[in-house]
Amino acid sequence: MTSSADARIGRRCVLGLAASASIIPGLAQAGSGGSEAPLRFGLTPVFLTSDLELLARLQLYLEHRTGLPVILVTRRTYQEITTLLTSGQLDAAWICGYPFVAHRAELRLVAVPLWRAAPLYQSYVIVDRDRTTRDFADLRGDIHACSDPDSNSGFLSTIALLARQGMRPDGFFARSFFTYGHRNVIRAVASGLASSGSVDGYVYEVVAELEPALTARTRVLHRSEWLGFPPIAAPRVPVDERRLSSLTKALLEMNGVPEGQAVLRLLRLDGFAAGEPALFDTIAANVALVAQAG
Amino acid sequence: MHPDPRSWPIMVKVPLAVAALMVLVGLLLSERVLAGLADTQERHLRDLAQSYLDGLPSAVAPSILREDIWEIFEAVERAQELHRGLRPTETVVTDAEGLVLAASDPRRHPLGSTFGTRQQAQASPDRSFSFQAGADAASALRKLSYPGRTIGVIHAAFDTSHLAAERRKVILKLAATNGALTLLLAAGGWLLVARMMRPVRILTEHLAKARSAQAAPIAAEVVARHPGEFGRLFGAYNALVQSMDEREALARKLAEEERLVSLGRLTSSLAHEINNPLGGLFNALATLKSHGHHASVRGNAIGLLDRGLVGIRDIVRTTLAVYRTDRRPRDLTAADIDDLQLLIMPEARRKAVRISITNEIVGSMPLPSTPVRQAILNVLLNALAASPAGAGILLSARPVGANLIVTVTDRGAGLPEEGANVLAGAVPAAPLADGGGLGLWTTSRIVADLGGTIEVERPLEGGTVVRLTVPFAKAEELPLVA
Repeated sequence: MTSSADARIGRRCVLGLAASASIIPGLAQAGSGGSEAPLRFGLTPVFLTSDLELLARLQLYLEHRTGLPVILVTRRTYQEITTLLTSGQLDAAWICGYPFVAHRAELRLVAVPLWRAAPLYQSYVIVDRDRTTRDFADLRGDIHACSDPDSNSGFLSTIALLARQGMRPDGFFARSFFTYGHRNVIRAVASGLASSGSVDGYVYEVVAELEPALTARTRVLHRSEWLGFPPIAAPRVPVDERRLSSLTKALLEMNGVPEGQAVLRLLRLDGFAAGEPALFDTIAANVALVAQAG
Repeated sequence: MHPDPRSWPIMVKVPLAVAALMVLVGLLLSERVLAGLADTQERHLRDLAQSYLDGLPSAVAPSILREDIWEIFEAVERAQELHRGLRPTETVVTDAEGLVLAASDPRRHPLGSTFGTRQQAQASPDRSFSFQAGADAASALRKLSYPGRTIGVIHAAFDTSHLAAERRKVILKLAATNGALTLLLAAGGWLLVARMMRPVRILTEHLAKARSAQAAPIAAEVVARHPGEFGRLFGAYNALVQSMDEREALARKLAEEERLVSLGRLTSSLAHEINNPLGGLFNALATLKSHGHHASVRGNAIGLLDRGLVGIRDIVRTTLAVYRTDRRPRDLTAADIDDLQLLIMPEARRKAVRISITNEIVGSMPLPSTPVRQAILNVLLNALAASPAGAGILLSARPVGANLIVTVTDRGAGLPEEGANVLAGAVPAAPLADGGGLGLWTTSRIVADLGGTIEVERPLEGGTVVRLTVPFAKAEELPLVA
């Protein structure tokens, strides 16, 4: 399955994919002689997949730094990427902390992004700007927008919050739905389709910077504890050890070269660190809490 | 202006009629244009709405089945974005129960709220479209069927204010164009009618002048300026004026000749009147020749001759006075009436008709003697002709106020109606229509020329009373009579 085949991905995403699937690989192949197997790197909507330039630059950077043709693979859901990753169809993928924790046994940590100098982020519960609600408990009966059932910040974090109070989302919210993208959660709340939403704090902050008009119609009602930033993970048994180490090296050195710094600037990240799996213990605790709550 | 439009001048009527027709035509055309516009707008909008709604079901139907709210919302947003030209204001997707699944404006139609009822959703046709020309919104509906089962309904509303504005603009343009055209054509109609009516005005003016004064022909250059039917009409009018002039001239000539005619009628009586004393006069001459030396005989004969000659002289003088147009018009005097008695007497005697005259004229009257005398004589002769032997004729002449009133009463068979009409001037008959009545016609003319009137009465006891009323002439204007 090629990356452009899935028509259900958002429009902007499709554009990005078209570019990644046609133009960039051509360049990459020209640079690498076309003899080597490409590096397949998966991306989930944790990340700002809507930015065409970002995707192109990231791909170009990785190709230059690894000397390999790079294919950026995106799918609509986290689950698809996770499945591709755990089944060894991807060399590595930028996934969410939740699937990383859930598939801990099958995955290894490649790198953790540094946002505001730390490999941490928060989950936000956002509401309409004009809503006077002060407390998360007031959201009872809401139509709630979630990002993805496999998203930590866009789902798990909120149901863990409810679980802590002994509640389940279907009993608390009148209705909830998935938008399969953090930016979509912001759109859903801003448009009024949903009265509240769970969103990645990092994405929210970046969108607030890039599209202030969109986030202006919302406000953050609740911030979660600091959680491990969505990591780059690889199958525990690498598809190709050499390709993976090239990728790891390229990621960790990204903030050291101008080309990488440009990509990081677009991502609003400071760089990538090796990171420790323990970073995701909080998320693992949430998973356990939710599982316990049933 | 007169309230009855039939009495309005044609210069007003025609432009008004043109304007009214133009307004009618304008209204009809405008109605057609607007109907056509509404039709085009509706068809255009319907096609666009169809294409809009054709694209949506395939995008939202699978999402409805999966209850993927976000995908439905995105599809609706995308469709609205994509069909910006159609100006969709609102798109609402409901499930079969009429509950909102997604709306372009979720704040207005929140998720799960009711939009219409299940009954409405079920009862509505599979697709519908409504658009009112001139309205600011149109709406369309499409039912989503997934093999045979209604799974949802798409309601779409479109902003048609630009179409309404276009329609208003067209209406304004039509009104302005039609108004301008109507004014232009009405003005054109007015000018055209004014131009076309000019010959009629010329003719009307001439006819009005002819009624109050002498009919004057239309100037040749005016006739030349109007070729065609008005030229012919002017020619006919001029021919009429000419024939009237000729008739007038003929009438004058006839009046002149009438004097001679009446003279002719009196000649035999006059000859008889002169002849009667002539025998006696010759006897007196013979007596004078043979017994002239006797003083008494001579004296008697000379007296007889003298009286006889005086009688003849009076008759001849009167006749001359009557039948010679005076060199200078002379005022009527009592003697003129007396002269008439002298003139008529021989004929009256011959017919054994008594004539009595009441002459109340004192001195002279400001009336021309010749025509007045002629008129009275004609009436008298007529009365004489109608009177049986032994009857009497009464002539009275008296001034009343500023008029001379002359009454001639006879005991004849009565003036026939026709003759009375001719005399009274009621019938503008041709003088020689039946070969007679010339005297009456001439009298009528003379009196009319003098500004007088003639009344004819037929009293119960029989006969005829003819009354001539002739106003005195004003000092400065002498009547133009022959």
